[in-house]
Amino acid sequence: MTTMETRAAGTAAAAAGSEEIITGCDAVAQALRLADVDVLAGYPIRPYDSVMTAVSKMIANGQMDAEFIVAESEHSQFEIGKHASLVGARAFIGSSGVGWMYGMEALVVTSSLRLPVIALVGNRALDDPGAFGVEHNDALMVRDTGWLLYWVESAQEALDTTLLAYRVAEDKRVMLPCALSMDGAFLTHSQHIVQVPGPAPVAEFLPPYDLGDRRFHPDNPVSIAPQFNEDWVMEARRQADAAMRRARGVIAEATADFRRVFGRGPDDPFVDTYRMEDAEYALIGMGTVGLVGKVAVDRMRAAGRRVGFVRVKWFRPFPRPELRALLRGVKGVGIVDRDYSFGSNAHGGVLYTEVAAALYPEPTRPVIVPFIAGLGGREVSVENIEEMTDITEELTARGELDASCQWIGVRGPASDPRYDVERGAR
Amino acid sequence: MTAPEMTIPDLEINRRLTILPMQEFYTSGHRTCQGCESALVMRYMAKVAGPRTLVTGTTGCMYVANTSYNSTPWALPWAHTQLGSAGSSAVGTAAALKALMRKGKIPDERINVIAFCSDGGGGDMGLATLSAALQDTRYNLLILLYDNESYANTDIQASGMTPWGAVTAFTPSGSQMRITHHRWKKNVPALLMAGHPTGRYFANASSGFGMDLMEKVRTALDVGGPTFVQTHDPCPKGWDFDPRMSHELAILAVECGITVLWDCLEGELRYQGLTRQQVDGAVKRRPVADYLRRQGRFAHFADDDIDFFQARIDEMWEDWILPGVLRIKQTPFGPRPESGRSVPEPTEGGNHG
Amino acid sequence: MSAGAVDVTYRGVFQKNLAGVITKELVKAARREDKFGGTVARYGDSPERNGIPAKQFAVIASDMASLQVEMTKYEPDNVVVVAVMDDTLAKGIESWAWYGVRPINLNLAPGGTLLVISRQDPAALLKWIPRRPQPWTLAILPGEPSFGGLWVYNDDGTDYRTMGAIARVTDGLVSLESLIAQAAGTRDGGKREQQLREGYEAVQLHQVAAGEGAEDTYVPVQMPDWTQMREGLVVPAVEVGRTNELFMKYTTRTARPLIKFDACVKCQICYTVCPDECFIPTPEGHYDVNYDHCCGCGICAQSCPVSGCIEMVNEAVFDGNEPLHGVYERDPAAYEELRAEKLAKAGGPVPHYGIY
Repeated sequence: MTTMETRAAGTAAAAAGSEEIITGCDAVAQALRLADVDVLAGYPIRPYDSVMTAVSKMIANGQMDAEFIVAESEHSQFEIGKHASLVGARAFIGSSGVGWMYGMEALVVTSSLRLPVIALVGNRALDDPGAFGVEHNDALMVRDTGWLLYWVESAQEALDTTLLAYRVAEDKRVMLPCALSMDGAFLTHSQHIVQVPGPAPVAEFLPPYDLGDRRFHPDNPVSIAPQFNEDWVMEARRQADAAMRRARGVIAEATADFRRVFGRGPDDPFVDTYRMEDAEYALIGMGTVGLVGKVAVDRMRAAGRRVGFVRVKWFRPFPRPELRALLRGVKGVGIVDRDYSFGSNAHGGVLYTEVAAALYPEPTRPVIVPFIAGLGGREVSVENIEEMTDITEELTARGELDASCQWIGVRGPASDPRYDVERGAR
Repeated sequence: MTAPEMTIPDLEINRRLTILPMQEFYTSGHRTCQGCESALVMRYMAKVAGPRTLVTGTTGCMYVANTSYNSTPWALPWAHTQLGSAGSSAVGTAAALKALMRKGKIPDERINVIAFCSDGGGGDMGLATLSAALQDTRYNLLILLYDNESYANTDIQASGMTPWGAVTAFTPSGSQMRITHHRWKKNVPALLMAGHPTGRYFANASSGFGMDLMEKVRTALDVGGPTFVQTHDPCPKGWDFDPRMSHELAILAVECGITVLWDCLEGELRYQGLTRQQVDGAVKRRPVADYLRRQGRFAHFADDDIDFFQARIDEMWEDWILPGVLRIKQTPFGPRPESGRSVPEPTEGGNHG
Repeated sequence: MSAGAVDVTYRGVFQKNLAGVITKELVKAARREDKFGGTVARYGDSPERNGIPAKQFAVIASDMASLQVEMTKYEPDNVVVVAVMDDTLAKGIESWAWYGVRPINLNLAPGGTLLVISRQDPAALLKWIPRRPQPWTLAILPGEPSFGGLWVYNDDGTDYRTMGAIARVTDGLVSLESLIAQAAGTRDGGKREQQLREGYEAVQLHQVAAGEGAEDTYVPVQMPDWTQMREGLVVPAVEVGRTNELFMKYTTRTARPLIKFDACVKCQICYTVCPDECFIPTPEGHYDVNYDHCCGCGICAQSCPVSGCIEMVNEAVFDGNEPLHGVYERDPAAYEELRAEKLAKAGGPVPHYGIY
C-alpha cells in the first residue's frame, strides 16, 4: 500500500470521529476515554490538572467508565496508579513541577515494577520561586529511572501519542511506564484544532492491557517486589535496560501501525525533522519550541540560509541513531534547552549533554552550541531562534569547539566579568 | 527464683480455638526475629482473611524480614508498597478490582484487600494516606497497622508510636540526659476513628489476644467499606527482652491498661476481654512498672519516670470518658436518646444533580 | 604483603555488641604492632534479627593496599580464625539474607582455626561440622554462650577471653602482649588482662585431619542470570499447605521445644501462639513440631498451660530436625525414654519463668 492509499484507508476508519477545538489536556482526556482507561488518580497542580477536570466530568456524565480517585498527595496519586496497574487496570496519572517531584519515590517504583502506567506531565518550573510557566526539568528528573519520555508539540500529537504510549508501554517486550510532556500554558491551556477519532480504530490499534503472570489477583498467587540484595539487583536493572532497548523497535512498529489505522502520524517515530535535507545548520529542541523553530527556519530559508530544525520527540529511549544520521554533514548545531543543569558539561542543559554525547562517535562532528531559553515559561520567539542560529553560525565559522552555554532571552549582558562563575570572580 | 503460678486459660477461648482455620496463608520460613509477634499478626491476619485476598505491605520488618528475594512466606498474593503508601496501595488495588469487575474484565466476586503498615509507615509517614483511604466509602479495604513501637527494620528508631521515654537508636539515654524521647505515644486508631465518620470499623487489638484480633480482622473484612485495625506487637529485639516473653508481654500491656482492646463498628464503641473487665471494674489494672521493668528499653527509667508513666495511664483510665480512646474528660451533653439512626448515602438518580 | 581476617560468627542482636568489641579491640591491638586493620560487619546481616546467625570481621594487614582490597568485600577473604560465639552455630548457619544453610567452617582458610565457645568435646562438635579437604584446627574455649540485648551489654569477660584465645590460635596475627597493652588503657584494665590470659591458657587445640568430620552436604545456591529471572520482580507464592523451603530458620535455634505428648491437653495454644507456624496437628489432636522452621523462641513453652508439657531443651543435645511425634506414635514409652535421656543430657530444661 502506498502512503497515500494508507492515509485514505485510515481516514475512512477514523471517520466516526470529529473535529474539536480543545486544549492539549482535553485532547489527552479524549484519548483516555477512547483507551477505556480503568483507574485514574488526580491531585491538583497546574497546569496538568485540567486533564483530570475533563476526565472527571466525562465520568460524571457517563461518557467514560472508570474509577477516578482524588488523591491526597502526588505520592498517593502515583501509588494508586501503580497498584491499579498491578491489578491489571489501565491506569493514568499526571502532575507538574514540584508535584511530580513530590511523588518521585512512587514514580521510581512504577518503572522498576515494570508497570505501564501513563502519565501526563504539564511541564512547569520547579519551586522556589513558585512559578507556573514551562520548564522541562520536572519530567527530566525521571530520565534515568526507566520511564519512557515523550515531548509533544501540539494538542493533536498529545491525543495520538497518548494512544501510542499505552500501546508501546503495555507491549510485553517493553512493560515500562511512559510520561508525556506537554509545555505548560501553550498546550495545556490553549485550544487547538484536534481530530478526535471514533472508537473503532482505537480498538483496532490498542489491544487490551494484559499483565499476564504478574497480575495481582487471587488466581495468580505471587509475591511482588521482595527485598533484593546485591546478588540480584544488577540482574533486575539489566532486565529494565533490555526493555528500554527493545522499546525502540516497538515504538517504530506501533508508529507504523498508527499510521496504517488512523491515516495520520509521523514518518519518523523518534524525531520530527524540518527542512533538514541540505541543512548546514540545525537547531534542536523539544516541545512547543518546535512550532516557532519551524517558522524561523522558513524565514531563514527564505533569506537563503540553509537551516533546519529537529524536534526530539522520544527523549527516552534517546534517538541516538536518528540524530547521528541527521546531523552527519551539518556544520553547526544549536541546542535549545528549556531546562537547566547547573554545573553540568559546558553549563548547558540536559538535551545538550545528551546530543553532544550521541554525536561523539561520529568521525567528523559539527560545532555544538548549547543554549538555554524559555525558562519559567518565558516565550521563545522566532527572533530568539534566529539569534541562536546567528550565534551558532558565527561560532561555527570560528571553529569554536568549546562553546560555553549561552542564555537567550534573559535580561542583562551575555556575560559579565563580575559574575563570571568559571573564573570565580565577583 | 521460683516459677510464679501459671494462669489457666479461659475455657471460652479454648472452645473458640477449635474452630480456628487450620490452613496457613502466611507460612513458615520468614526471616523474622525469634519471638516476633508482628509475624504472628501477619499469620492471624492471613488465616482469617483466607485465600481470596490481596495483601500489600509497606516497607518495614514485615517486608524485609518476610520477603527476601527469591523466596516468600506468603501463600496469598502479596505486593510491596512504599513506606508511606499503605492507604494508597489499598485504594489503588480496590479501585482497580472495582473497575475491572464492573466492566466485566474480571469475574465479579468478593476479594479482600488488605494493606498492612507499621507504626512508622502508617502512624507517621503514611498517616495522610490512611486518612484518604478511610474516607473513600466506595471501596472495600482493610488497613492493618502492626505497631511494634519503633522503626524496627532500620535497627530501632523512635516513631510517633514509641512509648514515652523508651531508648531507641535515635533516642538514647545519655550521661547528661536520661530521657530523650519526649513524645507521648499517639493513638492512631482513635484519631482515625474520630476524624473519619464514614469509616465503618476501627479496632485496637493485641497480638497477645489472637482470637480477639482475628475476630476484629474478620469483622473488618465482612463489614466492608474502609476499615482499620491496629495491633500491638511486642518486639523482643527493639524492646530488649527474652523472646519467649513476647506473647505474655502483649498480654501484660493489656493487664496494665497500656494497651486498650476496643473496637467501633458503625459508631458503636465496645471494649473487649480483659479491657472490658477493667472498664467494668471487675479486674484491677496491674501497675505499669510490671510491664516497663521487663524491657531493656526502659532500663534507664528512674522511679519518677515510672510514676509519670503510671500517672498518664491512670488519667487515661480514670478521667477520660472513653478510657484509652479519646482524651475527653467532660462534655456539655448527656446521652443521645435517638442514637441508632443510620444515614445512607443517596444513590445515583437521587435529587442531587 | 598480606591480610588475615578473624570472622566472629554469633547470634544476631544477642551477641552483636560482643562481636563488635572483639573485632574492634583486635584491630586496635594490631595497630600497636604497626599493622593496619579495620572491621567489617557483614552488610547483609543488617538489620540483625534476634538469634539469626550473623558475622563481623576484623581484618588485619601488613600493609594498607592489602587492607583496602579486603575492605571492599562483604566477607573478607583469608579467614584464619572463625570464632563461634555459641556452639549450636556449629550445626550450620543461615543468615536471614541468604539462601540455604552454610557450614560453619565454609570460609575458613586452609590450615585455619575454628574457635568455638563450648562445653562439648571435639568429637561431639565434629558430628556437625563438615569435613574439609585440608587439615584445620578445632579450638574449644570452655564456656557458656554470652547473650546480651540490643541496648544492654553482658560484661562477663567473654569478649576478652575470646580475644586471648584468638591471640593463641592465630600465631601472631595479634599478640597477647598487644592485647594486654591495649586493655591496660581501658576501664578495668587489670580485670581485662586477667581475662585475656585466661582465654589464652584455657583454649584447647585439636588438629582435624583432611576429610575428618561430618559429611559435607553443602550445595551453593545456583543463581539464574538476568535472562532467566522472572521479569517484574516477581516470585511465586508458597503453595497452600507447604512452607517456604528456601529459608529454614532452624540455625537460629539454641533450644528446642520438647513435648511431653502424654501431658498434652490438646488446648491448641502452642499452635495458636507460634509466630513461625511450626506446630503440625496430628490426627489425635496433638501438635508435632516442625524443627526445620522452629527458631526456638520459646513462646510455646511459655504459653503452655500444663506444667512440664512443653520444655525448652538445649539444642546441643539433638542431632537433625526430624519431628518426634512419630516416635511417640510407635511407642509412647520409648518416646518418654528418649525425652528423659535428652533432658538428662542437657541438664534439665532451659529455665523459664512465667510472668504471672
